[in-house]
Order: sequence, then C-alpha cells, then structure tokens
Amino acid sequence: MSRWRGQMEAILSSLCFGFAPIFAKKGLMSGLNPFYGATIANGSALVIMIFFLFLSGHQSRWGSTKQYSLFFVILSGICNSIALVSFFWAMSIGKVALVVPITCIYPLFTMSVAYFSMKESETIDRFTVIGTFLIVIGVILTI
Amino acid sequence: MDLSILLSILCAIAWGVQSIFIKKAMRHIPLFTAILITLIINFLVLIFLIGIGVGKGFSEFYHVPGSIFFYFILAGILNYFLGRSLYYSSFRFIGVTQSTSISSVYPIISVFFAITVLGEKLVLHQWIGIGLTLSGVYLLMLKGKR
Repeated sequence: MSRWRGQMEAILSSLCFGFAPIFAKKGLMSGLNPFYGATIANGSALVIMIFFLFLSGHQSRWGSTKQYSLFFVILSGICNSIALVSFFWAMSIGKVALVVPITCIYPLFTMSVAYFSMKESETIDRFTVIGTFLIVIGVILTI
Repeated sequence: MDLSILLSILCAIAWGVQSIFIKKAMRHIPLFTAILITLIINFLVLIFLIGIGVGKGFSEFYHVPGSIFFYFILAGILNYFLGRSLYYSSFRFIGVTQSTSISSVYPIISVFFAITVLGEKLVLHQWIGIGLTLSGVYLLMLKGKR
C-alpha cells in the first residue's frame, strides 16, 4: 500500500511539474525576465506554504528537527538554487535544444549518488537502472 | 566546452543531488518544514540576484501586469508547492531513485497537452520517446513487486 502511495505521489508530482511550465510560458510570453517570473512563482509558493504550515499546525513539530537534518535540508536548498540559476543562465546563452535535453539527465546523477551514498536504504536493481535509462532516453527523444 | 553545456550539466548534477540530501534530511525533520526551508533559500537567492543587478532591479515588479502575476502564481503553486510536496513526500514510501525517475517524465505531460489542446502532430522519434518513457515508468512500477 505504501509503495503504491509513493508511486502515485511521484506520478502526481510529474503532472504538477508538467503543467506548471504551461502557465510559466504564458507569463514569459510577455517578455518578462525569467528571474522575475521564478521569484514571483517561488515567493507565492513560499507564502502559501507559510499559511499552510500555521493553519494545519505543522509548525508545532519544529521542535523535533535535528541539526543533522537541518544541515542536509540547507544543502538541498543550495543545490536547488544552483540548479535554478544555472538553468536560466544556460538558457540565456545557449540553445534551448541543447540545454533542456542535458538537464533532463538528472535522474542518472540521483541514481549514481544514491548507489554510493545510500546503500542501506536504496535498492538499485536492474529494474531501477533499465527503467531510469529508458525514461531519460525517452524524455530526451520526446522534447 | 561551451559554457551553456557546462551550466546544463551543473544544473543536472545539482538537481539530481538535491533529492539525495532531502531524503537524508527527512529522517528527522517534518516534510513541510523541509520544503519551507528549501523555498526560503531559493527565494533569498533569487532576491539576491535581482538585488545585484540581474534584470532591472526591484522596481520592475511594479510594472508586471496582474495577469502575468496570476500565471506565475499558478506556476508556483503547481511546481513549488504541490509538485515539490508530492515529490518529497513520495521519498517516505519509495526509493529516491525510483521517485526521481518517475517524476522526471513531466515533459510527456507537456507533449500530451500539445497534442490534445494545441492539436500539434508528433514526429516518429517523439513517439519512440514516449514509448521508451512509459516502458521505463512501467519497469520502475514493477520494482519491488517481484
């Protein structure tokens, strides 16, 4: 059941990630600098998340946060920001037809790093390797 | 090597690795707190970049029409709030590799939208790409069943 839920959440997240660029593209058609668009999108999500946390009472669990976890979340946020900035920078100086397919290989990096750093919790079997490669090649061919 | 290629590879590495860090962090931090922190860091970086001169400064926000704001708010809710929440939440139930690979099929959604709403036609290699992607998702869904 929990495996099924995880898979459904991953599929639903891809739906959200897939529909978001349609609205972003409509916004960018006005000629607005993408950094402003990203700031508006990020800022609005941030405001909604703050409201959501306080209305749902999730902020009461902040006490259970450990420094070790906080360190990794901050690292993740920094990586997120590096990805965001390098993507827009690459798009502004390079060809979209080259930049977008290259950025789509990120699951291969996740798989490689998970294999070396999360051996205790991640099972990288042949299904994972073949499935990930098929998805990456398929997405590159499609875009 | 072309700088744009280097930046694209850097983007792929950074985006690929961030999920590993989140997975490691989520053992001792509530899901939504983790998302909040990543959103704050992203927002601060973007504000910093605009502050140091990327674009035309903060006054540019006043000139953005309401409809454009609305489109980006929708994009933000879908991508950074709903998408990220579901993506990170799935790490609690399946492996980070499985989740990242499944959620990376989002360009297919855009293609589906292009076919159904915009009436665009696909060429052969795009159909092959869709077939390979769906086969990959099927294989990952099978993972753990056997």
